[in-house]
Amino acid sequence: RVAVRVRPLSKRETKEGGRIIVEVDGKVAKIRNLKVDSRPDGFGDSREKVMAFGFDYCYWSVNPEDPQYASQDVVFQDLGMEVLSGVAKGYNICLFAYGQTGSGKTYTMLGPPASVGLTPRICEGLFIREKDCASLPSSCRIKVSFLEIYNERVRDLLKQSGQKKPYTLRVREHPEMGPYVQGLSQHVVTNYKQVIQLLEEGIANRITAATHVHEASSRSHAIFTIHYTQAILENNLPSEMASKINLVDLAGSERADPSYCKDRITEGANINKSLVTLGIVISTLAQNSQVFSSCQSLNSSVSNGGDSGILSSPSGTSSGGAPSRRQSYIPYRDSVLTWLLKDS
Amino acid sequence: MANVPWAEVCEKFQAALTLSRVELQKNPEKEPYKSKYSARALLEEVKALLGPAPEDEDERPEAEDGPGAGDHALGLPAEVVEPEGPVAQRAVRLAVIEFHLGVNHIDTEELSAGEEHLVKCLRLLRRYRLSHDCISLYIQAQNNLGILWSEREEIETAQAYLESSEALYTQYMKEVGCPPLDPTERFLPEEEKLTEQERSKRFEKVYTHNLYYLAQVYQHLEMFEKAAHYCHSTLKRQLEHNAYHPIEWAINAATLSQFYINKLCFMEARHCLSAANVIFGQTGKISATEDTPEAEGEVPELYHQRKGEIARCWIKYCLTLMQNAQLSMQTEFCPGWSAGVQWCDRSCNLCIPGSKDSPASASQDNIGELDLDKQSELRALRKKELDEEESIRKKAVQFGTGELCDAISAVEEKVSYLRPLDFEEARELFLLGQHYVFEAKEFFQIDGYVTDHIEVVQDHSALFKVLAFFETDMERRCKMHKRRIAMLEPLTVDLNPQYYLLVNRQIQFEIAHAYYDMMDLKVAIADRLRDPDSHIVKKINNLNKSALKYYQLFLDSLRDPNKVFPEHIGEDVLRPAMLAKFRVARLYGKIITADPKKELENLATSLEHYKFIVDYCEKHPEAAQEIEVELELSKEMVSLLPTKMERFRTKMALT
Repeated sequence: RVAVRVRPLSKRETKEGGRIIVEVDGKVAKIRNLKVDSRPDGFGDSREKVMAFGFDYCYWSVNPEDPQYASQDVVFQDLGMEVLSGVAKGYNICLFAYGQTGSGKTYTMLGPPASVGLTPRICEGLFIREKDCASLPSSCRIKVSFLEIYNERVRDLLKQSGQKKPYTLRVREHPEMGPYVQGLSQHVVTNYKQVIQLLEEGIANRITAATHVHEASSRSHAIFTIHYTQAILENNLPSEMASKINLVDLAGSERADPSYCKDRITEGANINKSLVTLGIVISTLAQNSQVFSSCQSLNSSVSNGGDSGILSSPSGTSSGGAPSRRQSYIPYRDSVLTWLLKDS
Repeated sequence: MANVPWAEVCEKFQAALTLSRVELQKNPEKEPYKSKYSARALLEEVKALLGPAPEDEDERPEAEDGPGAGDHALGLPAEVVEPEGPVAQRAVRLAVIEFHLGVNHIDTEELSAGEEHLVKCLRLLRRYRLSHDCISLYIQAQNNLGILWSEREEIETAQAYLESSEALYTQYMKEVGCPPLDPTERFLPEEEKLTEQERSKRFEKVYTHNLYYLAQVYQHLEMFEKAAHYCHSTLKRQLEHNAYHPIEWAINAATLSQFYINKLCFMEARHCLSAANVIFGQTGKISATEDTPEAEGEVPELYHQRKGEIARCWIKYCLTLMQNAQLSMQTEFCPGWSAGVQWCDRSCNLCIPGSKDSPASASQDNIGELDLDKQSELRALRKKELDEEESIRKKAVQFGTGELCDAISAVEEKVSYLRPLDFEEARELFLLGQHYVFEAKEFFQIDGYVTDHIEVVQDHSALFKVLAFFETDMERRCKMHKRRIAMLEPLTVDLNPQYYLLVNRQIQFEIAHAYYDMMDLKVAIADRLRDPDSHIVKKINNLNKSALKYYQLFLDSLRDPNKVFPEHIGEDVLRPAMLAKFRVARLYGKIITADPKKELENLATSLEHYKFIVDYCEKHPEAAQEIEVELELSKEMVSLLPTKMERFRTKMALT
């Protein structure tokens, strides 16, 4: 599901005379192209004046006085409650906040103490639920972990002090446990206050805190993970059901940091200046040339009698009939983030 | 000219350059471009000191450059014109300043201004662009314009600039050749001028980047072969000019080989992989370059990882080559059959035309088997391929010269790039692939790299499977399938089904199919014996049971948490799910039992599954498209089986 939220104009925007060109109408967000609008003769201009985009939820949070105003609570009621109900059923949930630096992601995810955002509210919801777990005493266990991905390196934001410099954690896969971050500390929490404390501690440890790197929070992703284990009865036998909630505060899109965008391939047709990215260019080439078709994959069988062997279909979409496999191997260049969140 | 305080000019210019190179992070937080703006100011001062630009002589019509030169903006110059005399010299100096101003504006995201300066630079240099003094700067200015236009998403314009640079370089090397002046030397005192060697190095670097930018442009234009060719050239040049990091280079070459594999260009793929091996082996001998390794402990880790990755690229080479051979030599399925036609009245050379009563199925017996006719055809073709080899090799981009070239050839010689035509040739590739499987597994161990490890094992299984195709002896083929099962089965035990759903399904399906193939082989073997004994019957039934088990596991994995089979099967698992059902149906029909009651039960179950397929496809027409063949056969069985079962019941009642 995708939700969009509109924030009020910032001080700078108001000072510069910025206008709000976004409009929300039910589940549709509309953006007005001012340039098209201001032309004297709009005839014959094929560009759209208003572009509309559909979402699962649209939140108008521009003016608190507005009857349409979507407060932190409103957002929580929709998205947060869904997370909670999914978790109760044993699903893993992942909640991403995406947008440019300054677009309000942290406000929505964390929020100021006066009006907390999704993360604290979801935690609160879990604790309330725990009180309601009547079946067994201490039937729910909640652990949290908090990591940061910066420059493709993973750091534990809740590492007990002792290490002067935060070192890099390795991301691995375990057959039983799936992908995990080796050495990431998990902290048991029993009440809401503890969670907030850990959150604040983690935030203070983020790379922004390092003085010589500016606006770094715009370049690092932070993932706050809640491990929720419930004791349940399955076939009348006590069993455990574990779910994970990943709350991801994504880095601001690269354009916000000018020095950053020179080093990475961005969307569109930008050419990369440095040969450092030759590997990425080659990887992309190889990846694009992959086919999943039957021309390289096979489906042979020894048949007997009247029954025909099973063969690749005319549309040729699968290999051996089994769920598809690739015909070539592209050495891993992807970001740590996508790999880590594979399981939810 | 005498008024120009040359020393001051140089000083300011150098200061400007130094400022330009200040890292953005070193600037105050709210003013990331401060150093750039300071540099810009200095450059403007230098520009003022140099005086006004010479009259725009180049605004005059093209006739200036020679008759019929066809010299439009980006065309090639007709001749080399050296910038001699004070006017020309001033033009060139100004051009350098304009260039740096252009780059400066681009760095501060002021593209229009940047473009203006760069175009001005080009205009000033235009007459002299093929000269020793100016060519490097001209090409660099064009390249930067190319990059600029790419940011505006006008990729064709970018292409034009970059191709022009490329052509200019080629022309220069042909007509002039000596290493040109590097633009930075313009404002350096005589003593500090660069050596020929250094000039050459820098100029070649510019051209290498030119090729790299073109590779990217071609990729965006979806001219993939060309893009690959340019990537290939870039890699080649990195080697030639000793400007590479062995591990990085090797993995890039190995990745490029995958592109070639996907395009079935095995000679090129082999070359890339062999080069990757050789260069990778140089690690440790070459000192750190521009890409300095990160942390102390990380270098060895990366080394082993890359080694494993290169091994995996090799595995794919062997596998794809063998599979490609199989594809060209296997008996095809007759399309007439798939339309549900019981006999083939098409003039296909596969089917023996039959009639309604004796369908042409006899010829379908060998579907997927090695077709001897095709094999001989390919053998005849082989000679031609070998003859053409030299000419193809000459056209291809070859890495390295001299010693390096020999080292690479040494690796290449041990591997064939031609499709294997018989068991012996296939076995060679198999053994090589297997060698790399072991190497890959050294790094990609299951604890830590589950997905990768499993993919390697799947490749290993696939190697056996394709080798089995070439094996003529049925017992030995059985053994190969048995090996596959032995390596795949343990994987399903430890895996968490929640995290590794897709992979689990793939493995289950593959194991089931391996058992299925083994069963069919045993049946074929039994058919050839005069007296199939109870031992082999038991074996066949056991294999049948195992195949059923795994198909059932696979199908069960599609159920929801409440164990209900989905009403609507997802698109990504639709075909495999249908196939699984089909094979389950067939398997039940093939259980050998002496007990008539059991037999009837089995037939009933078989019918049930065939029915499911027919019913599902009726409700979901998109499914019908996925399994045309199986659907036809299922419909057939749904109509035939009840009659068969009835006859059975009657027979039972009578005894």
